[in-house]
Order: sequence, then structure tokens, then C-alpha cells
Amino acid sequence: MPIRVVVVGGGAGGIGAAGGVKQAAPDAEVTVFTEFEDVAYSPCGIPYVHGREIDDFASLFLADKQAYVDAGIDIHYETRVTAIDLDRRTVHVEGLDGEIGDIPYDRLIVATGFDYADPGVPGSDLGGLYYVKNIRRAMEWDQVLDTVRRAVVVEASPLGLEMTTALAHRGIETHLIDPRPWPLADVADPDIMAPVEESWAEMGVIMHFTTKLEGFLGNEAGSVRAVATSTGELPCELAVVCTHKQPNNTLARAAGLEIGSTGGLIVDERMETSQSGVFAGGDCVELPHGVTWVPVQGLSGSHAYAQGKVAGVNAAGRERRYSPVYVPWAMVAGKWMIGGVSFGETLAKALGIPYVVGVADGISRARYYPGVRKTRVKLLGEPGSLRLIGAQMVGGEGIKERADFLAMAVRTGITIEDLAWMENVYSPPIGALNEPIALAAQNALSRLAS
Amino acid sequence: MTRRPIRTANLRLAGWLRRNSEHYLMEAAQVEFARQVGRPSPVGPTGPAALFWRRVFVPIYRRLPWTARRRVMSRMPGSHRRAWSHPPERRDPAI
Repeated sequence: MPIRVVVVGGGAGGIGAAGGVKQAAPDAEVTVFTEFEDVAYSPCGIPYVHGREIDDFASLFLADKQAYVDAGIDIHYETRVTAIDLDRRTVHVEGLDGEIGDIPYDRLIVATGFDYADPGVPGSDLGGLYYVKNIRRAMEWDQVLDTVRRAVVVEASPLGLEMTTALAHRGIETHLIDPRPWPLADVADPDIMAPVEESWAEMGVIMHFTTKLEGFLGNEAGSVRAVATSTGELPCELAVVCTHKQPNNTLARAAGLEIGSTGGLIVDERMETSQSGVFAGGDCVELPHGVTWVPVQGLSGSHAYAQGKVAGVNAAGRERRYSPVYVPWAMVAGKWMIGGVSFGETLAKALGIPYVVGVADGISRARYYPGVRKTRVKLLGEPGSLRLIGAQMVGGEGIKERADFLAMAVRTGITIEDLAWMENVYSPPIGALNEPIALAAQNALSRLAS
Repeated sequence: MTRRPIRTANLRLAGWLRRNSEHYLMEAAQVEFARQVGRPSPVGPTGPAALFWRRVFVPIYRRLPWTARRRVMSRMPGSHRRAWSHPPERRDPAI
């Protein structure tokens, strides 16, 4: 009899899991429940449609619904799982189409994703507050954006940076508020973010750092008319709430699955939870950081998809392991690319991790080649061994590739010394004679020598 | 299938400790770097609890050696205490 696998959630983690099961056990019965109307699209692409860099939302879909039918994956749309019974091995579902009942499983995969943290201020129930998540709602909001003159982005989180850039690109007067002293301050260092801030200023973004959100003020129609902050009111027709992504674990918690200190589900390298036969992946889980071994949560869509795949393969009875994470990241903010791996100086300082540092301002192409941009690289090494433990970068191109490379370098124990004398590609249109990573490593060694 | 014991109180305490320590340690680091680049300090919660975390917890944490901090963190409940393979050691040349 084929194994019955139920997947709760249709995001990157859930769809990755369903595919992982089918890959490992083609005859498995795979049922996915999602409370939304669609699966298999890129929610990360939504800001770029709003910013008009991408023409339409249809481009964000990776596959149509028939593709999953053809693959033998039974997806139930707009169907909510309201309870998990671990002893009876069933999930209770309630669908919009009237479907209701207990569905049995042999293996369960939880991929319930995230929710935005409640801003916790008065007026949070007003209209005109946009939480970027669901593509259908994004399509509706995109039409609203045509009528918006002034918008406030709440918090300079990764999504906050993307939405700020997108709204400014669309010609909307955009205000960004955040209680910290610079954007993305929990992740990136101020020198990395400085060029981004300059470019936002050029794009007309009005930045309000060290400014606390105090409430949303409504008009008679019940829509936001202004955002109240510690430094005054900001009139607007739209507020985009980009607060921290919290694991959506209400269901798992009620079922009795163990939750870690981050609020994410506790899993092992097979992505199995505290209950044998129950797996999880994506934004609802926490994973150990490869350098500190401290659990972290809320990573990227590529992390979620890969974790889902591993969960699915193991749920199907095969063996695959996920690794501790080193968190390579990169994104476009303003007119720059920023990125890094592991942590920068601010986070290292916060955790109290000892480090040595090397910084260099290099270039992305030969200095004479059109389109050459500055590339700043900062490397953090472990004192003594000089093993690479973190990096941060800002530049015009090649940041993502450097972040991916440096994540592997951290993972495999590469040292600052190794990087100082690394081989690098030199080709005028795509790479400079001196690789900025090598320059940063050489500067770190020079500082240590002096 | 066997259900593993649920240590709800421990897990809630760990969550509370993590949330607060992370917030105030990050805030303290941001204050230092903001000062270095001539920017104002972050604005955060006020009141006796915030005062405790800023004036008591952060200085004590910073005085502990990294090995001691790491030992405390490793004893917190979480995914890091489950089975995880360590990264592979460096290998000899491929051929």
C-alpha cells in the first residue's frame, strides 16, 4: 500500500516537500493543504511588480495547477488545517468548498510559513495597511498603488528595503521609518548601508531612522490617513508593514510539537520534529547556525525550498540530510546590491564573538570598462586561526555570487590567509585584476601585522 | 510512534530570554556603531524592565568570556541540540 503523506502549507517549503516525496517515492499519495488560492509562485517577486521592474504578476507563477495534477500531487486550495492529532495521525481540515473532516496520514510535513509580527500599536486594524504576502492581494494592492501619492514603509527589514525601493521607483513619495540608526541594522553594518541611503535620497525617499512607530491614524472611512511616530505624524494613503517574520506555529504548538527559543519548530538534520514521522521545513522551523551553533529562523525562500525537499525525501523513507546554515544573503536596495554571509561587525559585537576584520574598496570590472562600480568587501575572521566567520558587501554587481562563494568558504574552514592569495578571474568586462575579496583579506593581514 | 516529552515551561523561558537578550544586545551594539559614525542611538522600550536589560544584563553578558556564553547558549533548548552532522574536514587533492 503506498505511503500517505500530508503536507500542511503550499509555500516554498510545502511545495518543495511534496516534490521531495514524489521524487523519493513516486507511488506515494501526497496531499497538500493550503489556505490560499495559489501555489508555485514567487512571493519574493511581488515588490518588483509593484516597482514596475516586472511587467505583470503572471510572470511570478512557476507552474499552473494542472502541472501538480499531472505530477500526482493532490493540492486542496483555500482549505485550512485546523488541528493535528498526533496520536491518531490525522489532520482536521475545513475547506471553502465545504470539505470538512479528518484526513489520515502516515507521514506529516508541517510547512506553515510565517506571519508578520504584530506592530502592537493602535490602529493596526485600519484599511490601507499592506502586508506583502499573498499574490492575489498583491494584485489588488497594485491597483491601489495607482491612487497613492504618499506611502510609509514601516521597518527597514529586507522586505522594507525592497518595498521602499519599489515604491520610490514607481514615483510614490516614500517615507521609511525604523527605530534603529540605519537600515537593516540587525543584519548589516552602517558602512555597508551608507551607499544605499545615498541612493535612496537621490530617488526621493525620505528616511526617518531612530523613529518609533506609535500608531496608525484613520479617516472617517476607516482607512489610514497618517502614521504616528515618535518624531511626528506622517500623512499617507498607504502604510506597508514590513515587521519581523515570525514562525506561524499556532497549529504545531497546539498539537504538542516542540518549539525552540526562536519560536521555530525544533528539527534535526532530517528535518524531523520532536515527533517521529512528523517533518517540517521553511520559515516555521529553526536551524543551527554553522558558526555559532545558535538556532536561527526566518531565512530565504531558497532555504525553505531545500528544507522542504529534505523533509519530503525523508518522509518518503529515503535518507537526506540538511546542513547547519551559514546564511548567504544578497538583495538590491536603492541603486546598490548588498549582501553577506554569516554576520557582520554589528551582530558579532552583539553576540560578543571575537573577530579580526579586513575591509577593501575594490571595483567590479576593469577600471576603464564602462559600467564599472565600486565593490566594498568586509571580511571577519576568527582571531588566531583566521578562519573566515563572516562577510558583508556592497557593490553594483557580483554580490550574490561572492556571498554564495564566501558561504562555502566559511563552511569549509577557508582562512583569511587563503583568501588573501586566492586565484581570481580577470576579464575586463566582468572582473578586475584585483579581486575585492582578496584585497580585503590582504588588508586584514596587514592590520594584524602592524 | 513515541511522543517525546514536552518541556513547555523551559521552552517558554528560553523564548523569553532569547527575545529580550537578542533585542538588547543588538541595541547595545548599534549604539556603539552609531556613535562611531556620528548617528543617534536607536530608540527602544523604556521602563524598569528595559533598564534591567540595558544596565544589568548587557554588561554582565559582555564580561563573560565567549566560551562561557557559548556554553550557556548551547544548553538552551532548540534545534542545535538535535542530531546535526558537522561540516566535512578539508580533503586531500581530488586526484
